Amino acid sequence: MSQFIYLIPALTVLIGALTLMFMSMYDRFTVKNFIVVSSLFLLVALGFSIADMGTSYSVQPYNDLLNNVLIFDSFSNFFNVLLITGTLLTLLIGEHYFQHRSYFKGEFFSILLFALFGMMLLAHTNELVTAYIALEIASFAVYIMVGYNTEDSKRVEAIFKYLVLGSFIGAFYLLGVVLVYGAAASTNLSDIATFISTANSDDMILLYIGLTLILFTFLFKIAAFPFQSWVLDVYRGAPMVITAYMASTFKIAIFSFFLRAFVQDLAPTIDFWDTIISIIIVLTLIFGTWLAVSQKIVKRMLAASSIVHTGYLLLAFIALSYKDGELINIESAYATMFYLIAYLLSALGAFGLASHIISETNVRVTYDDFKGLAKERPFLAAMMTIFLFSLAGIPSTIGFIGKFYVFTEAVNAGYVGLTVLAVIATIVSVYYYFKLIAMMYFYPTKEECISVEFNDKRVSTYAIAFIAILTVLGGIGSAIVFFIPVLNIDSIIALAQTAVQSLFIK
Amino acid sequence: MSSDILSFIIFLPAVVAFGLMLTTRDVNTIRNIAFLTTTVILALVLKIYIEFEPSAGMQFVTNVPWISTYGINYYVGLDGFSLTILMMIAILIPTSYLLLWEGKTKGYWINMLLVQAGVTGTLLSLDVVLFYFFWEVMLLPVFLMIGLYGTGRKVFTTIKVTVYTMVGSLLMFIAILYLGVAYHAEFGSWSFAYNELMKITTIGYSAKVWLFLAFLTAFAIKIPIFPLHTWIMETYKNAPTGAVFLLSSIMAKLGVYAIVRFMIPIFPEIYIEFSVYFVSIGLFGLVYFGIAALMQDDIKRMFAYSSASHLSFIAAGIFSLNAYGINGALYLIIAHAIATGALFLLVGLLEEQTGYKTIKDLGGIAKQAPIFTFIFAIMLFANVGLPGTNGFVSELLIIFGIYEFNNILGYISATTVIIGASYMLWMFQRAILQDRPEGATVLKMRDLKIKEIVGLAPWVFLVFLMGFYPDIFINKFEPTVTHYLNDILHIGAAK
Repeated sequence: MSQFIYLIPALTVLIGALTLMFMSMYDRFTVKNFIVVSSLFLLVALGFSIADMGTSYSVQPYNDLLNNVLIFDSFSNFFNVLLITGTLLTLLIGEHYFQHRSYFKGEFFSILLFALFGMMLLAHTNELVTAYIALEIASFAVYIMVGYNTEDSKRVEAIFKYLVLGSFIGAFYLLGVVLVYGAAASTNLSDIATFISTANSDDMILLYIGLTLILFTFLFKIAAFPFQSWVLDVYRGAPMVITAYMASTFKIAIFSFFLRAFVQDLAPTIDFWDTIISIIIVLTLIFGTWLAVSQKIVKRMLAASSIVHTGYLLLAFIALSYKDGELINIESAYATMFYLIAYLLSALGAFGLASHIISETNVRVTYDDFKGLAKERPFLAAMMTIFLFSLAGIPSTIGFIGKFYVFTEAVNAGYVGLTVLAVIATIVSVYYYFKLIAMMYFYPTKEECISVEFNDKRVSTYAIAFIAILTVLGGIGSAIVFFIPVLNIDSIIALAQTAVQSLFIK
Repeated sequence: MSSDILSFIIFLPAVVAFGLMLTTRDVNTIRNIAFLTTTVILALVLKIYIEFEPSAGMQFVTNVPWISTYGINYYVGLDGFSLTILMMIAILIPTSYLLLWEGKTKGYWINMLLVQAGVTGTLLSLDVVLFYFFWEVMLLPVFLMIGLYGTGRKVFTTIKVTVYTMVGSLLMFIAILYLGVAYHAEFGSWSFAYNELMKITTIGYSAKVWLFLAFLTAFAIKIPIFPLHTWIMETYKNAPTGAVFLLSSIMAKLGVYAIVRFMIPIFPEIYIEFSVYFVSIGLFGLVYFGIAALMQDDIKRMFAYSSASHLSFIAAGIFSLNAYGINGALYLIIAHAIATGALFLLVGLLEEQTGYKTIKDLGGIAKQAPIFTFIFAIMLFANVGLPGTNGFVSELLIIFGIYEFNNILGYISATTVIIGASYMLWMFQRAILQDRPEGATVLKMRDLKIKEIVGLAPWVFLVFLMGFYPDIFINKFEPTVTHYLNDILHIGAAK
């Protein structure tokens, strides 16, 4: 029983997904029922996850049954909390959107929870094939959700592009796993670690090739430079809420597995890719920035700017380095995790708010359509401003602290040139984010965009407001303003530290 | 608890602003409460001014951890130098309210309050990350003010000014991180407090020059120093009066302040080595902007150039490496803030009343509004540096300072002051004194109201008090300057 307690969050989500699937067979449940039920399951899972937050542990329950493929530690728990929170907030933000689109039926919520289950599994997994299965559970759920928007002709392009390219890159992953297996005779990460510590450099070649192929999948899923071509079209064609979900939550799940692998077992190999990733960062930043500047549609701009944020995240990732039997610059792992939280909040907020605005009328899509929003609905415009500030890294938001950590660690690891480039990308990002703020505040409303009376007192608005508060709180820290030490910025880092340290419990 | 008074001064306007934002819609109530807030702050600052010990270094210090993982502290305090500027801000802002009194909206006043919080925070922070925090935050309300209440190509202007200043700020941000990392590498713990960063010894020469330039870019854009001035013309022309006032008389001064506060202690040797270039650039800017100001027809643009010209002069004084020059520069900061602030506000009034801001369309104001003209003239003379005004004292000190720094540059600086006098007086003659051409309709211009006169009276008083008895002010910050020269730059306070 004591071991079972660790499985509860993931199992709750799985049971929730199955329950929703059964519910969807009956016609009498409304979309609202589905939202309530899935939220309840998520809240239960979140409650169990948060209960373990801050404690340091690492267990492999039911080892004879699970055969060492899943690991339950503070690290996975940290990511579980983020993933469940991300999903829950997505669900709540989309509450209005889901109810006013005829194509959202019961199964959708089941699929959403399956996606979450896959992601949570990915955070737990300690073995390459299991990781692939978890990744595919999540990916396939997301493929389906991308294609949900039957009213949009772009969806076919979106789903097809994503499915084909995703499967294609999946094949790379499998080939990589085969090569790694060929070298290390195991797909379990801890066995591979043992192999690395004993192998001579000739044996390592196969392993390096295999891991490089696996890394391609990573870069594809987080949309780093040579693999970014799908992002704009997929984000454009998917329902807005799903775009928010993919940009924030899915990215975190991908990072959870690769961060675990490279911080823990594959650490000795980490410096092998430094040059490649440096080049990728440069190209990702330049290309993402160029793409974001040239967009006229807000959704595409946010999508393109998410490529730039991938560049920042990789910057923290590359700052990890291995020397003399131990990982140095371990702080950059904390920085990555902090940035993931920062990006989760701000991207979810920005995409979610855009979807919230779009959900009543379909016109607010281009920059021009946002004109005069501040006069019409000052509350929403103010929150959008907070999220854009956070994305641009303006002080007093969590995005600034996130950038501060990432850049500090990158400079600390000696990547001054790359940091300067990242800062230049930030400067340009100020331009395209502030352009939207200028549109909202400084122009009169366009005639056709004046919407009918819209009730802002609903769950979606509250969820967005909640994220906005967290965004500001994370940037200022509550200790100074309200003299509450518990919610300080340090405590978030402390959580990240506990999480990463639990990887080294043997 | 007395040390929390600074935090109170910093955050009171912000708290009031958010409170007003959420509670009321009535513009008059908002304006009155905002004005009350600024006067409360003025009273508190006066209290600090009286309690301040000139010789005691940093005072009223609050130093509590903010992000302890990286040793970032909420670290505020003030010395003679910041006290002087704090005093200036506290006096200028309430008066500006009186001149902006009518016809503004809710957002305008709330932004004014937020700016005050931002500038005070910037002024008082002693931790570079905290400083950066406020430095960026103070820009945002101005961004909104220009975009919402500006004229002409206001959106273009807002984006331009934001991106422009952000370039400098983010370069400084990297330099801050680099310093922090270097400190961590040398001492094994994190800190971003300026007095800790001073201790770093490991940074090589070329890296130090780059860091110096990164900091300087941020501050030079804000001041602005030639050639990083191209944003101000557009901005000063299109921005609403309040924003122009804040940018020119307060924020620009913070750029100079930041050079003294952070760059001198952290890079003393680079500062000494490069000083000759910056004095030259400063003097060049003085001449360049002065000539540009001569050719302007738009009064606001003319003042923008004039302001840039004076700030170049201040920068030259700051880099002159002796007590005369630095004291003079600090003195000119105050003098210029008062004079330019008043002139921008008066021109704002002029534009609001007559509908014109071009020199050739104006004229005959003196007959219509004698008191307006009188105060305008006093501020103009203070700006030009007529004997008896505070401008004279400060310009004289700077010229002495530059002369001591380098004789030839000293001669040049003494002769360039004439340019300032020429464009100012010429403008005054054309726009205010001289009658409009025959046949043109007489402009409608009301004279100042009692409220506005009351608001400006302390400024006029200060202009003369500072002009006749400079010692009572200089004594407050001179020990700080001496401390800088003796203990940080090690070149001695030449007298």
